[in-house]
Amino acid sequence: MKNSKRSKSIIGLALGVAAAATFAFGTASAAGYPEKSIDYIIPFNAGGESDVSARFQQSVFKDVSGVEVVIQYMAGAGGAQAWSKLNSLPGDGYTVMGINLPHTVLQPMQKDVGYQTDELTPVHYFHYTPDAIFVHADSDFKTLKDLVDYAKKNPGMLTFSGSGSNSSNNLAQVRFDELAGIKTTYIPFSGTGPAVTAVLGKQTVAGFNYAPSGIAHAGKMRMLAVASEARMPAFPDVPTFRELGYDIVGGAFRGVAVPKSTPEAVRQQLSDIISKINANPAFKKKMEDGGFVLTDVGYQDMPKFMAEKKKEYAALAEKLGIKKQ
Amino acid sequence: MEMLSYLVDALSPFNLVLAVAGVTLGTIIGALPGLSATMAVAILVPFTFAMSPASGLIALGAIYTGAIYGGAFAAILVNTPGTPSSISTTFDGYPMAKRGDGGLAVTLATIASVIGGLVGALTLLLLAPPLSGVALMFGPPEYFWLAVLGLTLISALSAGNTVKGLIGGCIGLLMSAVGVAVVGGDVRYTLDTQFLLGGIDITSAIIGLYCIPVVIDLVATRAGHLTVLDDKGGFRLRESMRILLGGKLNLLRSSSIGTVIGMLPGAGGSIAGLIAYSEARRSSRNPERFGTGEPAGVIATESSNNATVGGGFIPTLVLGIPGTPPDAIILGALLVQGLKIGPSLFNEQGGIVYTFMYGLLIATVLMLPIGLLLGRYAYRSIVRIPKSLLVPTVAFLTVVGSFAIHSNPEDTKMMVLLGVVAWVLQRYGFSPSPIVLGLVLGQIAEQGFVQAWMIGNATGSTAAMFFGRPISLAIVVFAVLTLVWPLLRKLWRRGPKATERTDLVVEPAAQAPAQYRDTPAIAWGIAFAALAWAAYGETADMTPMGAVFPGAISTMLGLLSLLLIGTQVRRPARPASATPEAGGSMPRRVALVAVIAAWAMLMPVVGFFTTGLTAFLAIIAIATFDRLDARTAAIYAFTGLLVVGSFQVLMDGVLGLRMPMGWLY
Repeated sequence: MKNSKRSKSIIGLALGVAAAATFAFGTASAAGYPEKSIDYIIPFNAGGESDVSARFQQSVFKDVSGVEVVIQYMAGAGGAQAWSKLNSLPGDGYTVMGINLPHTVLQPMQKDVGYQTDELTPVHYFHYTPDAIFVHADSDFKTLKDLVDYAKKNPGMLTFSGSGSNSSNNLAQVRFDELAGIKTTYIPFSGTGPAVTAVLGKQTVAGFNYAPSGIAHAGKMRMLAVASEARMPAFPDVPTFRELGYDIVGGAFRGVAVPKSTPEAVRQQLSDIISKINANPAFKKKMEDGGFVLTDVGYQDMPKFMAEKKKEYAALAEKLGIKKQ
Repeated sequence: MEMLSYLVDALSPFNLVLAVAGVTLGTIIGALPGLSATMAVAILVPFTFAMSPASGLIALGAIYTGAIYGGAFAAILVNTPGTPSSISTTFDGYPMAKRGDGGLAVTLATIASVIGGLVGALTLLLLAPPLSGVALMFGPPEYFWLAVLGLTLISALSAGNTVKGLIGGCIGLLMSAVGVAVVGGDVRYTLDTQFLLGGIDITSAIIGLYCIPVVIDLVATRAGHLTVLDDKGGFRLRESMRILLGGKLNLLRSSSIGTVIGMLPGAGGSIAGLIAYSEARRSSRNPERFGTGEPAGVIATESSNNATVGGGFIPTLVLGIPGTPPDAIILGALLVQGLKIGPSLFNEQGGIVYTFMYGLLIATVLMLPIGLLLGRYAYRSIVRIPKSLLVPTVAFLTVVGSFAIHSNPEDTKMMVLLGVVAWVLQRYGFSPSPIVLGLVLGQIAEQGFVQAWMIGNATGSTAAMFFGRPISLAIVVFAVLTLVWPLLRKLWRRGPKATERTDLVVEPAAQAPAQYRDTPAIAWGIAFAALAWAAYGETADMTPMGAVFPGAISTMLGLLSLLLIGTQVRRPARPASATPEAGGSMPRRVALVAVIAAWAMLMPVVGFFTTGLTAFLAIIAIATFDRLDARTAAIYAFTGLLVVGSFQVLMDGVLGLRMPMGWLY
């Protein structure tokens, strides 16, 4: 509703116009989509990975689709504030929202957050930031094996900083403990920034953070292992967990979702635009240099992808002791 | 020589235009409660993609520093911090404006902001790489103690009423625990609502707690909002310079505190202002004047919060760790521009970085003329505008501001609720400042405490974690000093014989002339004790990580409430009924609250513009004491249309906020 409003002067804001506009959008045709700029709501504060990756998309969005995106923020309750409102927004394809995993699976599992996982409509998951273990560059721990040996000798003494409780970092730490047969202590911080600062300031022994931090703080932190499927182009020398014998692949996935009322054709078209952005060489280079791993989970592949993820997270949530409060 | 060429680059006409526009826009946005520096910076980011990195950074830095400064206007003129950084500007700035020194306060705030900004920016220019390590020296225990140091200010703010102040602080701390806990992930005190999952928004709470009581009392009487002395209407630049020269040390100390706290990623402008204020008060020869319109309080806060701008850029540019929330957005913008952050930025991209730093210096200097001009305008408008228009405008700003932060109408409802509660509590001697302090510092205190405790537990060194680290110890010493300094000073002055007066330590309220029983306080004590009991009961369902902080605070609240009841019950009853009656027109107050409450409830249903205009007109009627002739009434109504309409355009068109449309408009 918002964009049509912009072109009108305040005087013309009669009731009838607003009402007419409301009806007009109900019948938005998919033929010429997109015809005007798209509002892209980020359910977090500016400056985080969700914002930065959306800004990367924004920088090439016009080249790919012919229209601009306007990034807005609706932060609160770890994203739940925005996601619980998603389906009440106009479903015309001109209001889209960032969506994250594991957040949108884990949140409804532990409390009533105003939405259910299956009520949200992701049309594309375009990248993920793999979990990775970091230590300070001065640390005596040179390899993951050093870290595991230390943890075996000193149960509980190995402290990992990470972003938030019940987050992807937290899940990865739980899984790592289980696979390596060790007991470590996870210290939740209020975001990736503070969690990484704790590693850099040697407040914790190590950090379970996301791979992009390895770019931002290159030379000051050592990445011991990364939870991507294959070695990342940005970190050719860092082994994956799988290579080292731990079956951990995962991280925070980020995508684009639309309100439930959005027509099928528009969902598909939006998904195609995001896929095209993913294929844009400039975008691809920026993202890969930044430590993001591009994924191309389009609208067609979504049901299968979500089914897999839900199963995976449910199993881990049980180990974390997540249950509805 | 190279450096000189960067200075020349920064002085290019385009960059100068950016700096002027940025500072002006930033000051205006900062002056409007609810529209924060973070928001101002976020809006500008897409525009900077089209500029060179250095110009983009200059624009962002200018708008940021302007917004931090602009917060002082609202703090001084309507007792509402325009941004959380100016919380402690209200303590003395508003009393100054009340007694007719508003122009002086604005000028002092302007010059102090410029000097603080210059200290921060020069530190950034000259010492960034060596100082960046400070950001890493602060771990969880240091943040915990820093928050405690900030909380000690409560005792100073509530002199003579310490127990009530501490109760307010506990309530603020409990309010900060509402929502999903960062550490532990517990869902706390949400009363099973989804709205409270996100917690109580600090900015909208501040607007409610400070501004709504002002509006409620404003509407009750015919008297003007601010006193203006005819011979002191101007800006009193000379007088300001004399005051500032007399407070050189304060200025320097506060600017340094701001620079250092700006470098700490977990703190920010609000904490810098509070701590600088607290230190200024402690080292002042007249601490008792603080809170009653002492210029040094305004100087301390405003110089320190603008110093955080330069300070915050130090870890942002050197380490890639944002020092303050707006820095986080700027960092993201730099990444998108393809700049690599880190020490190499200073060598390989020196041109960009140094041009930006000079640009920030220039923007800071520009704040002086721009600020004085805008300040003169703002002050005059607030003084001259008739009450019939001032009240609805300020009320409108509270509604707009609380909504704008997250485009969330629920924040507006919370703002109104807290505002009314604050007005009532204020009548009974519970001032809003301790509540705000608790709310602002609560999360930092809790996260720092629980993280330090977990790390200490894991490594078997909990005591060393809290008391064995040099920076922690230094902060603890400052906190203790802040608490006992007033007592020490008193003992000092009275001489050694006075030491037997132990009652000074126990109950400062006992010095108050009225030794009679404060019956309403007993009722409040019972209510707060019940609240504490309920809050403690809820901790049973939480994880140990999530329960420790609310458990400790509710216990403290319970004990303080009992102390309040106990001290009051022991006192003799007041002979004649002299309960503080709120002067002025109660019906007008009630009508105003009803209109604002209905406004907040109906805004998302009916629409922003319609409810805004209707409420504006209704409040004009409530705030008008004389019969209006048709022409004046028409002018007032048109002004209402103009104010509401221009905000609609600003928020929707310029700021790109999601406005509630409702079924009308």
